[in-house]
Amino acid sequence: MLARLDNVTKRYRTVEGLRDVSLEFPEGEVAGLLGLNGSGKSTLLKLLAGLLVPTAGRVTVFDGTPRRNRARLVYLGEADSLYGWMDARDAERFMAGLFADFHRDRFRELLQGLDVPPRKAKAMSKGERGRLRLAMTLARDARLYLLDEPLAGIDLLSRERILSSLVREWHKDSTILLSTHEVAEAEGLFDRVLFLREGRVALDARAEALRSEGRSVVATFREVLG
Amino acid sequence: MTDRRGWFLDPEAGPIFQQIGDNVRRFLARGDLRPGEKLPSARDLAGELRVNPNTVVHAYSELEGQGVLETRRGLGSFVREDAPVEGMRQDLIRRAASRFAEEAVRLGLSKGEAIAAVKEVLDARAAR
Amino acid sequence: MKGLGTLLWLEYRRSRVWSAALVGSLLFWFWGMNQVRAIDLGEELGIRLVLLTMAWLVTAVVLAIMCGRFRGETRQGQYQVLLLSGPSGYIHILARFLYALGTALPFAVACGGLLAWAGRQAGLPLDTGSTLQAILVLPLWGAGVLVAPVLAWVLLLMTFVSAYRISGSGWIPGTVFVFGTGALFGPLLDWMTNISFSLPGWPLFGRLVDVLQNMNLDQEMPNPEWAFLLPQEPLWIMLALTVGMLVLAGRIWEEVEV
Repeated sequence: MLARLDNVTKRYRTVEGLRDVSLEFPEGEVAGLLGLNGSGKSTLLKLLAGLLVPTAGRVTVFDGTPRRNRARLVYLGEADSLYGWMDARDAERFMAGLFADFHRDRFRELLQGLDVPPRKAKAMSKGERGRLRLAMTLARDARLYLLDEPLAGIDLLSRERILSSLVREWHKDSTILLSTHEVAEAEGLFDRVLFLREGRVALDARAEALRSEGRSVVATFREVLG
Repeated sequence: MTDRRGWFLDPEAGPIFQQIGDNVRRFLARGDLRPGEKLPSARDLAGELRVNPNTVVHAYSELEGQGVLETRRGLGSFVREDAPVEGMRQDLIRRAASRFAEEAVRLGLSKGEAIAAVKEVLDARAAR
Repeated sequence: MKGLGTLLWLEYRRSRVWSAALVGSLLFWFWGMNQVRAIDLGEELGIRLVLLTMAWLVTAVVLAIMCGRFRGETRQGQYQVLLLSGPSGYIHILARFLYALGTALPFAVACGGLLAWAGRQAGLPLDTGSTLQAILVLPLWGAGVLVAPVLAWVLLLMTFVSAYRISGSGWIPGTVFVFGTGALFGPLLDWMTNISFSLPGWPLFGRLVDVLQNMNLDQEMPNPEWAFLLPQEPLWIMLALTVGMLVLAGRIWEEVEV
């Protein structure tokens, strides 16, 4: 198992972000994390990234704690993490200096493929910033990718480019965990879908199995969470 | 064939790997794809369609099992020279006819009326 | 030390506006000091020294804020990226500290220059040795005793608050930290004062005293004792504390949740 949660609860003040969740993530899986706002998707991803520590239970990534294994995982958060003054060249310098597994050539290819403009971040649209951040993310050689709403608030063409790039850069030993509201667009990507509701796993199913029963992931979403 | 637009994938219509197979058969039936032609790599097609590469791999392997595709080591996946294209054409036509017939029955058309309707449409097309 | 270079570059890019503003402020303080006109040279000098002290204090505060800018980064997700980056917390903290100190030192030296200038304006015959001491030794001692520990303290405060937020609010750990360390400051100051000059102090402006004694001084010139000793102990103690606080901040960095 690449990553696992054992009876993990995360409490914020009095609200429980995650309640007693146990999950396992094998190598090579692309899993979709779906749910309404506040259902615990971000919390789950942050726990796996080591940005949060469980109130109860244990998070294991690569047989250790996430923070200690941070070199082998990539977290792409919802919050925009670019400095306003940064352009693609600055981003390259930033990543190359701080992450040992960053490939400059792959980064440049991704910049082209994602059509990232050579401007400063503050002069870019949200979609362009999202594409730059994705290029920074995918140019790293990680085994575990944790992507929190990489498509949120991004224009259609950028979303399509992002999804295509994700597919193209995916390595079959890598595990991707992706949370999104754009269920319909991302549906084809997932091997597995996890529906979260109020901090618990409402449904854990294989996407193609659902479709074999004639229900798309979108339809299941409405059913389980509507 | 790597153009997304030719493909028809509907998440409500069953497993995607199967739909990919259906699409390939449709391309073959219509001549958009010829026997002996190379198919895009699983990764490229997956990127174009924005689906999981494993799904494409699954689709290709099903098609291989059905004698439509063959994998040549190091070169990729190719449509077999002896792929049953004619059979696919027949299959597609029969299915289209089946859909038409069902509609005709629901509308209460007789066999003669139904055939006449088809003839009318085809004549109109030929005239253009 | 991998990544330290990149982090220093990052600090520079993040903070260069602040640094430029500080340099600019020097011009402002200089202008201010230049404007001072008083009845006698001694009073002029006195007022200028007050301005200079204010410049120091304001700069120290500004540097502390520049160095401890974690809050904005939390909201913007940049902190998340840094926490998950390769370098350890020690290196992140060190980079911020070195940049802030690196900005402080030239500023301190420039203030030393202003001190020497003010002295000259007041008619004090500063020889080369004294001038150099004003420009280098005093500011560096001041930076070591005052600026370095303040910067380290702010970094420790910021990581402490980030790591130990209670119910999402940073006020509680922040207040605890400030009052806790504040309570320790008094005893620390007492101790430093007590043990000062156990080791030989460093004499400053020695030559100046001799020169002054050979001149006929105007009696309105206040405080003709321009020879004084800089105690060594506060410098070593503060430097040790600085290192200790930086190490602690680096360790706490590993505990931060964002």
